[in-house]
Amino acid sequence: MSRVRLQEVTKRFGAAVAVDRISADIAEGEFVTLLGPSGCGKTTTLRMVAGLIDPSSGEILFDDQVVNAIPPAKRNIGLAFQSHALFPHLSVARNIAFGLEVKGRAKQETAARVREMLEMVELADYADRMPAQLSGGQQQRVALARMLATDPRVLLFDEPLSALDRNLRDTLKYSILALQRRTRKTAIYVTHDQSEAFAISDRIFVMHEGRIEQSGSQLDIYLRPQTEFVANFVGDNNALRGEVIGVERGAPGEPGQLLIQSGSIRLTAADYAGLRLGDSVLAFVRPENIAVMPVDVDAADPDTIVGRVEQIVFEGPTVQLLVDAHGIPLRVAVSGLERLRLLDAEQRQVRLRLQEVSLVRDRVGQPAAIA
Amino acid sequence: MAVSVETIVARPAAPEPRRFRHGALLAVVQHGYIWFWLAIFAMPFLATLFYSVQQTGGGLTLSAYQYVLGSFRDNLVLSAVSTVVTILVNLLIAIPAAYGLVRYPVPGKNLILSTLNLSLYTPAAVMGISLVIAYAFLFRIPQSFIGLIAAYVVGTFPLMLVPIIVALRDLPMVYEEAAKTLGASRWQSLRRVELPLLGPGISAGILLTFVIVFNEFLVTLFIAGPNTTTAALRVYTLTRTAGFQPSTAALATTMQLVSFLVVLLFFQVFGSRYLKGTYLI
Amino acid sequence: MAQTTLPQSLPAEPAALPLTEARQTRRQTLIGVGLLTPAALVALCFSIVPLFYLVQVSLTRGSSFFFTPEYTFDNFQTVGTRYVSTVWQTLKLASLASLLDLVFGYPFAYILIRKVRYREFARTMMTFPLFGPLYLAFGMFYILLPNGPFGSILQAMGINVANYLFSLPATLFAMAVFTFPFMVMNMGAALSNVDPVLEEAAKTLGAKPWQIFTRVLFPLSRGGILAGFLMCFGWNLGVFAQPLLLGRLQEQNVLSVVMYDKGLIQFDYGLAAAMGVVLMALAFFVTWLSLRFSRGALGT
Ligand SMILES: Nc1ncnc2c1ncn2[C@@H]1O[C@H](COP(=O)(O)OP(=O)(O)OP(=O)(O)O)[C@@H](O)[C@H]1O
Ligand SMILES: [Mg+2]
Repeated sequence: MSRVRLQEVTKRFGAAVAVDRISADIAEGEFVTLLGPSGCGKTTTLRMVAGLIDPSSGEILFDDQVVNAIPPAKRNIGLAFQSHALFPHLSVARNIAFGLEVKGRAKQETAARVREMLEMVELADYADRMPAQLSGGQQQRVALARMLATDPRVLLFDEPLSALDRNLRDTLKYSILALQRRTRKTAIYVTHDQSEAFAISDRIFVMHEGRIEQSGSQLDIYLRPQTEFVANFVGDNNALRGEVIGVERGAPGEPGQLLIQSGSIRLTAADYAGLRLGDSVLAFVRPENIAVMPVDVDAADPDTIVGRVEQIVFEGPTVQLLVDAHGIPLRVAVSGLERLRLLDAEQRQVRLRLQEVSLVRDRVGQPAAIA
Repeated sequence: MAVSVETIVARPAAPEPRRFRHGALLAVVQHGYIWFWLAIFAMPFLATLFYSVQQTGGGLTLSAYQYVLGSFRDNLVLSAVSTVVTILVNLLIAIPAAYGLVRYPVPGKNLILSTLNLSLYTPAAVMGISLVIAYAFLFRIPQSFIGLIAAYVVGTFPLMLVPIIVALRDLPMVYEEAAKTLGASRWQSLRRVELPLLGPGISAGILLTFVIVFNEFLVTLFIAGPNTTTAALRVYTLTRTAGFQPSTAALATTMQLVSFLVVLLFFQVFGSRYLKGTYLI
Repeated sequence: MAQTTLPQSLPAEPAALPLTEARQTRRQTLIGVGLLTPAALVALCFSIVPLFYLVQVSLTRGSSFFFTPEYTFDNFQTVGTRYVSTVWQTLKLASLASLLDLVFGYPFAYILIRKVRYREFARTMMTFPLFGPLYLAFGMFYILLPNGPFGSILQAMGINVANYLFSLPATLFAMAVFTFPFMVMNMGAALSNVDPVLEEAAKTLGAKPWQIFTRVLFPLSRGGILAGFLMCFGWNLGVFAQPLLLGRLQEQNVLSVVMYDKGLIQFDYGLAAAMGVVLMALAFFVTWLSLRFSRGALGT
């Protein structure tokens, strides 16, 4: 229910910089995810929004109010912890009532609200249980009810599902999304699980070493990575080092086409990175975006290449191939019925078409990027 | 190689039963040893109890116990009151101190803790004589109730402090943080979340203080006067002046019985977990 | 979406902000110190200051400290000459009793940790000695009374209790029982840190029981054994009730007892304080050693 803004927020622990000048603008009712590897500063960022730690510099705003100086108890936020953090000495109902009781709400109002919350998370019969008597999923649902009971302005989640098993994670992530959609509250969700982030976010912020590398929709992040880190971190990717050898302007408003030469492989890609003729680039192709054909099909197409299948791994729904294309190893994933035809293709030649290529300016030669 | 396989295969026939018998004998000896010592721990108490209810010329009587609620009543009341007051004062200073040591960046924590624990390592008689001097010369509170409480507090609050520190270290920060994000003030969080969760540790501290203070006689011997004679001290002085009387035995029995029941209650409710690392078990 | 405001104001911030962080840490430190203050005051007033007084009094003659102090080193000289037997007797009783604890406590702790399921019950029973040496000595006295009911049973078993009522063995036994739990606690902690798998490994490698003890168990639990011994020793240094109730005059010649007599009966505070200082020094030294071996009760 609040717009949340971070302006150049930095957190240092001694000499180490955990969060490095992060800026973000999260719209009212938006569901954003902070996605990144362990130690990249996700939790630190979230805890600064919660007020549990103070930024070293920068400002955090809820709507137009700077909240830096407001203690967490007064920020009116809801925080879900990785370890549900239910008070072990209080019953389910008393846990949910906690936030209302400390705010001095009337008894009846509290009781009614607790009942409403319990029904919302479908645990109406569990009001008098102690947290230890609940399953992991139930505990996390009580934790959600507890954080929603006080009608907070902003919902914050710090890997709330990471302690649960996979099935439970899958169902609960949609419950969380449904609750957020129902209440239309601004939500910031921290996770290092990509599928979780892709399933529930309006927008994803990919974090790396305390900075936001890229923010955007699932499609932006997946198909149009803007940095090498994002391309490598999100999903599986083949990286090819090359050079722009041709530029084709597109119609107004449409991205143009670029022609890339990487060794003896030629690729075409949409130009959304503002590249120019002669630029060094890293081209990324996802294994599932490489089409596999018999060698004699489309032999005249200059955008296809021939490679030799080095290895085949059957993984059930997909078959993973390792193909040597003119000395460049490419990972290829084939799904559907087609994959079964490839099973005995080892040591054979195949023709590949590399599609949905994304480009990132190659920073090779700049020491910072190599390190 | 083949030989060893054969021996293994051949074995179960003969030696197995003998080994079993040997193991059973060992178990009997081991458990017997434990029980022997447990009996020795309880023996002096049981003997005292027996003495206190023995009638001259055979038979049992509770007549010695009339003194317990008679002429010893004031001593018992004083023991009970000073124990309770000491526990309260200990709580008031040990809980904040534990927070300071565990949750705040105070420099020189180990040194502070050692200093606070100093009285724990001071022999009772040394503490007694040093307090007699300090009370007479500096504080001018000789033979007073205040002096008694001060001595008990300084001698036992480390026993309160240590289990609370252990419990506080075991208490994850998330509960405090969850309370905070749900809108609880520092005091509300302390009262509704932390203190209940620290309960076992605090109770351990209460138990230790109780066991020591309720039965303390040596420091008391140095600093107490006629109006501040505790029950434990009374046991001592009666034994020294009147020899071994059934009435003294009755008082000693009562003291131990009360102590033991409290310990039993505590172990029933909390177990011995929070007593680890303290001077009791 | 990145709404950067006034980039030129940025350079100023990093310089200014570490200061607020430092100030915040200082605030936290101040709160912590504040929370520790009551405890520190109590320790200062009723432990540290009195002990300093004790040292000062030990350097004055008789009870002159309370009137016009006459400073002298005589008291320590007296302790070192006339009362050197008292110091020796204290050390002797304390070490013998602690040795008893060591010998009987080690198997007790081992069996308790490795074999016993009713540990909680054993712990409960072990609290009896902790109610204090006074009740213990009182009960033992009655057990050793030759014409008492227990005395006759023991006599029937061939133990002539009359020989033991006022004796060194009775005193030592009462001392050892009092400190037994401390020994078992320390050893138990050390032994429970030794993984039983190591013993089994030694067994499979062909070690005999005594080899397992000397080569595996003892080396791995040495710290706890030493700490336990020293802790018992420290407690036994202050022994008071057991010799008075169960010992002969010889056994009663220990520091705590003599100190009480000199100070509170004969009002020779200087001499009593000197004995107190000696006893305190011994106790602190032993405790210091003990804490070194157990790495502190809190594992800091
Ligand atoms: N209290 C602290 N003191 C010192 N350094 C800290 C502290 N908290 C976090 N850090 C450091 O800050 C960096 C970011 O930590 P953070 O917990 O935000 O990572 P994260 O992205 O949440 O990782 P994870 O996915 O493992 O939870 C890490 O390098 C961490 O070591
Ligand atoms: Mg984290």
